[in-house]
Amino acid sequence: MTAPVSTIASAPTAVDGERLVTPGVQPPRFKRPRRRGGFTPYALLVPTLIALAAITFWPLLQLIIISFQEFGRAQVFGAPAPFVGFDNYAAVLADPTYWAVMGRSVAFCVVLVVVTMLAGTLVALLMTRLNAFFRVLLSVGLLLAWAMPALTATIVWGWMFDTSYGVVNFMLTNGLGLDFAQHSWLVEPLSFFFVAGLVIVWGAVPFVAFTIYAGLTQVPEEVLEAAQLDGAGAFQRFRLIIFPYLRSVFLVVTILQVIWDLKVFTQIFALQNIGGVRELTSTLGVYIYQNSLGTGEYGTGGAIAVLTVIFMLAISFLYVRQVVKEEEL
Amino acid sequence: MRKLSSATRVVALGAVAAVALAGCSAGGNEGTESGSAEIRVWLVGTDTPEEARDLLKETFEEENPGSTLVIEEQSWTGLVDLLTTSLSGSDSPDIVEVGNTQAAAFTSAGAFLDLTEHYEDLGGDDLLPGFVEAGTYEDTFYAAPLYSGSRLVFYKKDALEAAGLSVPTSLEEYISNAEELAAANPGKSGLWWPGQDWYNALPFIWENGGEIAVADGEEWDAQFSSDESIAGLEQVQQLMTTASLAPKDGNETNPQVGYCEGTTLQLSAPSWVKWSILAPADAEAPGCPEEEANLGVYALPGADGGAAQVFAGGSNVAISANSENPELALEALKIILGDEFQTIYGENGLVPAKLSLAETLGTDEVAQASTAAAGNARLTPASPKWADVEAAGLLQDFFVKIAQGGDIPSLAEQLDADIEGILNG
Repeated sequence: MTAPVSTIASAPTAVDGERLVTPGVQPPRFKRPRRRGGFTPYALLVPTLIALAAITFWPLLQLIIISFQEFGRAQVFGAPAPFVGFDNYAAVLADPTYWAVMGRSVAFCVVLVVVTMLAGTLVALLMTRLNAFFRVLLSVGLLLAWAMPALTATIVWGWMFDTSYGVVNFMLTNGLGLDFAQHSWLVEPLSFFFVAGLVIVWGAVPFVAFTIYAGLTQVPEEVLEAAQLDGAGAFQRFRLIIFPYLRSVFLVVTILQVIWDLKVFTQIFALQNIGGVRELTSTLGVYIYQNSLGTGEYGTGGAIAVLTVIFMLAISFLYVRQVVKEEEL
Repeated sequence: MRKLSSATRVVALGAVAAVALAGCSAGGNEGTESGSAEIRVWLVGTDTPEEARDLLKETFEEENPGSTLVIEEQSWTGLVDLLTTSLSGSDSPDIVEVGNTQAAAFTSAGAFLDLTEHYEDLGGDDLLPGFVEAGTYEDTFYAAPLYSGSRLVFYKKDALEAAGLSVPTSLEEYISNAEELAAANPGKSGLWWPGQDWYNALPFIWENGGEIAVADGEEWDAQFSSDESIAGLEQVQQLMTTASLAPKDGNETNPQVGYCEGTTLQLSAPSWVKWSILAPADAEAPGCPEEEANLGVYALPGADGGAAQVFAGGSNVAISANSENPELALEALKIILGDEFQTIYGENGLVPAKLSLAETLGTDEVAQASTAAAGNARLTPASPKWADVEAAGLLQDFFVKIAQGGDIPSLAEQLDADIEGILNG
């Protein structure tokens, strides 16, 4: 409990310092160099940086080192790990499986993001129309879906789609009279990704819906009313008023979804244990796991992971740049 | 100097106390080395009967007063990953069970304690030779046998009788039996065989004269695409597609569900599945004890009669190189390999780790079938990297595709290339 107290105690000095320095001393000039409150802000960043260094940068550094080494199971148990330069990277980039996994992950990610954003936006819009009772009911439902651990959710969904005893096959066969007895949902890759996508979107919609709903409450009512008086339909109002107001919210949520969906692991990994062909259904996260922990090739797995990190960083860069832009406006 | 000042007295007292405490703590340290400690034993799956677990815990705690032994049950799924991370960490379990085909991955990596000098104490040449070999790396003995269990075929006696069939005496008859059972009972599996279950496919390859992989000098040459292997794989595909209604991409867990439901007429599984089938109806994983009289079992017949060459499943047991109490762990390991503990395996239809205990298997049907199967059991290639082939899921993927009716020669070519990539990589 000491850390927060000390943070609070030192916080006012920063603000005071800023107030003293910035408006008073600086003459209003174009393109003035910004001067902030001296050393204090950096001191305040130190605890965060230490935490980040310990839990993010240190493992990342280890990962990068391993990716340049020959690192197998023997090295895990203490054998020396020789450096092999870019051998691991060359092996990965020359492996057609890697490119297949990459392509599959990106395609799957695009579909997931589009579906999640659409469903999330529609649910958010629905929440603005509902009365208090149903809004609370819907919120609770969304929260429960959100709170459900991904592994638990996947196993329950896996049971529902079970080949022999699943409720989905039962309903389709006995309810609708279709021939779905003993139908395996996971054996065909497209069908596998349909089920996996369902589980992932189901888990991701609540976050999108809540965030966009929060944004929707900030759109001024009078603007919408004026547009309605001018004869704008519901879709036009969304396209011309709501969307521009929430542009930054949409952008940030979309980029977060892209990053999360690209590195999806739990749902795919758990479904592969239930059924399907691993080789045809592995995405980046699972592929890294299979290479490092599965076959004990930590060096190769590390190289794939580092390549993925670079890819994610490029996407995150868009996100950070957008955030910075918003702040400068 | 008669009268010490009170301050001096306090100092003196403190010094005495410090010396006394130091003595205590030294004693305490000795205690953790040979006396009181907690030994963690990892057993995998439900193969080891409850009776044996209780015996191990009670005997150990009785023989080593002050120490405790905790058994933690792990799952076979993802075991290689789990052991890699946990054995290399500071919080390593002391004793671990590992699948016999997985042992080499750890003996070669230095994950286990060298047991060579205790070989005689643990049973010596009485230990199952194939499993001693699996637990030995470069002439150093790391992992002792725990138990062995070959797969047996369980069947419904009434279904076989109703179809006018009898227990098969050759592999060919086994195949035709399963197909006839399936044909006579629409909607039921003449032989329940989910696509991921590759262990059951190996006998078909071996009985046709094929191999998994053969050592060619330093290199491994995978053999799934040899003519002999392909002949066996065709029989596998025939059975999977015509006799089995099990999910083509399913795994072999919970075979008792279909059996008790009545949709599985035959299944090939480890001997302890008998207890899953006969589990009480209100157990956590319920079985159907009322089927006991109707439950038949036989060893898979070979191509020329007799027992087929089946996969010698089973486990090894080893002490972690990172164990904090290796001496106590060794005591526990001696109990595990003791006659009393091993006899319980025998009584439950698993082949004990010692040759001299073979007769504990008893004389019931399961025991007879187990003995017959064990006599002809074979192992997977003796490469430290074989565990990686299993962990990569190559064989599961391959047989799922076979079950779907995939083209055997081209799939086998690809599998051979993938296996060689790992074994020689």
